[in-house]
Amino acid sequence: MRVANRKCIYRLAFKNLQAAKLRNLITVLAVALTTILFTTLFTIALSMVENFQQSNFRQVGTYAHGIFKELTKEQFDELKDDPLIKEWGLRRIAGLATDDVFNKSQVEVSYMDENYAKFGFTTPAVGHLPEEGTNQAATDLKLLSLLGVEPELGNEFTVTIDVDGTETTETFTLCGYWEYDEVTVANHIVMAESRLDEILEKCNNQNRNGRTGSYQLNVMFRNASSIENDLKTVLKKHGFQNDEVGKDNYIKLGINWGYVGAQLFDSIDFSVILGIIVVVILIIFTGYLIIYNIFQISVAGDIRHYGLLKTIGTTGKQIKKIVRIQSLLLSGIGIPIGLLLGYGTGVLLAPVVIGAVSNNDSIYYASVSANPAIFIGAALFSVITVLISCRKPSKMAGKVSPIEALRYTESDSLSKKRKVKKVSRKGISIFSMAFANMGRNRKKTFVTVLSMSLSIVLFTLTVILSNGFSMEKYLSNMISTDFIVADASYFNVRMHWGDRTPVSDDIVALLENMDGITGAGKTYGEADFFVYDFIEEDYIRSGHLSRYYSAEDIEHYISSMPREGNQILNEIDIYGMDEFCLDELKVWDGDISRLKTEENVIAAVYFEDDYGNMEDWTNWAKVGDTVKIRYSRETEYYDTQTGEIYEADNLDSLPATASISKRPKEGTFKDMEYEVAAVVSIPTSLNYRFYANEQFVLNSEQFIRDTGTSVPMYYTFDMVDDEAVKQDMEHFMADYTNNVDPSLDYESRYTYAGEFESFRNMFLLMGSILSFIVGLIGILNFLNAVLTGIITRHREFAMLQSIGMTGKQLKKMLVLEGLYYTLGSVVISFILAVTISPSAANVVENMFWFFEYHFMITPLFITVPIFTLLGILLPLISYRFLAKKSIVERLRETE
Amino acid sequence: MAILSTTNLKKIYGNGENAVHALDGVTLSIEPGEFTAIIGTSGSGKSTLLHMLGGLDRPTSGSVTVDGKDIFSLKDEALTIFRRRKIGFVFQNYNLVPVLNVYENIVLPIQLDGNEPDAAYIDNIIETLGLSEKLSNLPNNLSGGQQQRVAIARAIASKPAIILADEPTGNLDSKTSQDVLGLLKLTSKKFSQTIVMITHNEEIAQLADRIIRIEDGKIVTRENM
Repeated sequence: MRVANRKCIYRLAFKNLQAAKLRNLITVLAVALTTILFTTLFTIALSMVENFQQSNFRQVGTYAHGIFKELTKEQFDELKDDPLIKEWGLRRIAGLATDDVFNKSQVEVSYMDENYAKFGFTTPAVGHLPEEGTNQAATDLKLLSLLGVEPELGNEFTVTIDVDGTETTETFTLCGYWEYDEVTVANHIVMAESRLDEILEKCNNQNRNGRTGSYQLNVMFRNASSIENDLKTVLKKHGFQNDEVGKDNYIKLGINWGYVGAQLFDSIDFSVILGIIVVVILIIFTGYLIIYNIFQISVAGDIRHYGLLKTIGTTGKQIKKIVRIQSLLLSGIGIPIGLLLGYGTGVLLAPVVIGAVSNNDSIYYASVSANPAIFIGAALFSVITVLISCRKPSKMAGKVSPIEALRYTESDSLSKKRKVKKVSRKGISIFSMAFANMGRNRKKTFVTVLSMSLSIVLFTLTVILSNGFSMEKYLSNMISTDFIVADASYFNVRMHWGDRTPVSDDIVALLENMDGITGAGKTYGEADFFVYDFIEEDYIRSGHLSRYYSAEDIEHYISSMPREGNQILNEIDIYGMDEFCLDELKVWDGDISRLKTEENVIAAVYFEDDYGNMEDWTNWAKVGDTVKIRYSRETEYYDTQTGEIYEADNLDSLPATASISKRPKEGTFKDMEYEVAAVVSIPTSLNYRFYANEQFVLNSEQFIRDTGTSVPMYYTFDMVDDEAVKQDMEHFMADYTNNVDPSLDYESRYTYAGEFESFRNMFLLMGSILSFIVGLIGILNFLNAVLTGIITRHREFAMLQSIGMTGKQLKKMLVLEGLYYTLGSVVISFILAVTISPSAANVVENMFWFFEYHFMITPLFITVPIFTLLGILLPLISYRFLAKKSIVERLRETE
Repeated sequence: MAILSTTNLKKIYGNGENAVHALDGVTLSIEPGEFTAIIGTSGSGKSTLLHMLGGLDRPTSGSVTVDGKDIFSLKDEALTIFRRRKIGFVFQNYNLVPVLNVYENIVLPIQLDGNEPDAAYIDNIIETLGLSEKLSNLPNNLSGGQQQRVAIARAIASKPAIILADEPTGNLDSKTSQDVLGLLKLTSKKFSQTIVMITHNEEIAQLADRIIRIEDGKIVTRENM
């Protein structure tokens, strides 16, 4: 039966709330603090995800979901208005700019409509996109500076464009520009479509490569959940397909991989996600401890009230509802406050965390997320925490028997359990009385002590863990020499020294003449040639490829590889190292010094995992083996079935079914044989910084002689052990690579030490903030426990005073109670810290190879004085509430 | 010489039009060993008088002398100490400390004073009040009558000059009331205590040596039994 009693229940809940202002304040604060924790966490996490995605989009060059490539005008008109497509943008390319100043950049000259520019981050920040029928163009600031043109609207600039094989020189009037984004691959010049058509006609464009002048349709769907499917559905609807390359109705597709979820999880460590889950559980637990405690205490205090309600006919269900409504009303105030403050904290912390987590440049920090999901999620989790927390107290209130409730005193539960011990004639003291009082509401005492301990433990763990990050271990693995200087691309994880630019002679000459350098050397890298070794088929089946590909794929791969006799030609990477660099190698087996004295000896490179263990699948050669290497100036593409040779230019036009492979071109190669003198590992800072093939090291003379090239990849050196000299060098390098030759970059112990410090500081900062807020919650819980302990006992205290307890003795008893809480927290914290920290350290050690566990007790002792002070002060402050009323007033009060 | 006396004791709550004269010039004197009942209807001012006698509340004017000492000349802290040495309280709702057992409750005032209880004397009290079997029980496990007996033991334990009892039987049924009161009277005789008891119950008051009737803050009659 439903009774229209909602109003009545709400009124009761509301009136109950009004009766306990202080308790409400504490509850609201508790809910707000819990919400702050959730909001901050979610802000950081979502900002991380969004910045990661944004970084991907910037790399890809667009945030459009997908692209239909190389369309004709008819195809474009047909597809663009499909109802599945929510928004579309158009681009047509004229070609790449070929001016000398652009030899390090890719400059794409094209027409873009407004949407395409918007998707691709090329909407002018100043000015506007070109107008039709004019020779206006918009571009970025870096391109203008390369051309030496002032960024002023109306200025003219001239570039040479390769239009389908025909070069043409065009002059544009600047109508808009934007900041260049370091992350993106290409620079853009955007012109009007009318101008594009003019240029195409002038150059007699045949669109031989399929791209020049054709229509590129970038599209946004309703959401990013099934981009590939959506693209194909659109094609199918209009009679096109993407499966058979040769056929007429084939259309090329592109999916923005920035949206692919898996990418995110590859890059953001699983450990980060695990960390977030752990923190969420921790916050729920922290919130539970205080909110549960507040309601538990208040229900215990109001139990007679609930008994009375029951006597006059309120059902258990209704009483439960009254408690729940109270908690939700208070959440209604606490949660918005928490969301606001939490977002503020998140905004401050997100850049720090993202900066420290993405030490491999996978995320470029741009902005803090303002996703509504943060607020919805945080609010939801807070409400869940509140509901979980008042489940038991509301049950307790609902279950109360009216008769029992009238007899109920706080120590009820205890009296039944306490053993009847032999009467000791010792009687009591203030100490034992205070101690006995701790047992009145054991739940309250336990939960309060646990809640206080939580922050101490967290803080202790934070300090232990952040102290465990060993700079020495980190540096020894990250960098082995004091300084390395190279072309900037060498240090860029996305380029891997991709443009093969040598470290400039100028800087090497400068450095060679500088004081304080104790040893130096170059390492030569592969440029303008290809290297192969000769291996057995079986090695491919068991080598590194087998770790990434299925047996079937590997067989396919083997069948497509170039052969000589029964051996396979396998691409490798080689180094030519000066003696200084050879000395930096870690030797697992053999004698590396033979490379300095003997000819035709080689070192086989094996990689190490982060913990310094040799990964034996990364090479095949052992000491004493003979390695036969083929150096080739050129390669050629050929059909593995027919043996037909193709020009590299024609590869695009081949049917997808053709089995094409690459091999050294006849007449451009020579073979050499070496004996493996040593098995080594190269420190990460000194290798190619990627692993794709087996790697070998020669000494530099042999390298130069055998490869016929001498392109130094980097120059590295150690310095005298004098901080001042190193500092000077650091300044010199920073200045040189920023101002004199920006194409250069360098790394030093300082760079890595800085990186390490910022990581450790982030850890310490996050941990401290978490401990601080959890600590606040613990203190709030403590305050609540002390306050309610005093309020519920105010009559008892009046009685004690009437039989002769002085105010001083009463205060002493209350302070002792406070100190017992402190003592309990310290003891529990100590036990928890000792038991938890080894396993926490274990987890962290598995996540971060540069972690070394040392147990520390100091942080725990740092918190002792703080909590002792609180243990004294909070009871004294709370006592003032009590002392406001006279003994007689309190004695007279009958609940 | 009177062990307890008051002179023109007044207590006024509020002021002007709203002034309530809870006590309106009470003068009385009680001799050692006397068992006095103060009787009056609710609101007559009898509880206020008891609180004044015990030094729990300060009067607007007038004085209270206990054992020759004007108690309101003492500061709060000193008054509390004086109280625990000279005055024992028995309340209507027993007011025992729930976390302490019976024995601990009884010796609490003595130990609050930093003294060791007189074991023989305490045993005697316990024996007299029939609490020997209950010493390690917590108050919640006792019946109302038992709890009030513990309260009486506590009041007597510190050998006070007077015992003030505020409706000591108010929460008890009539049979238990008679028992408790009998014990109160017995112990007061045995340990030669002076008792001042408040009650609104005529029948109970009849057990006293002397009855003081109070109405509207004034003493209306004094009768010796």
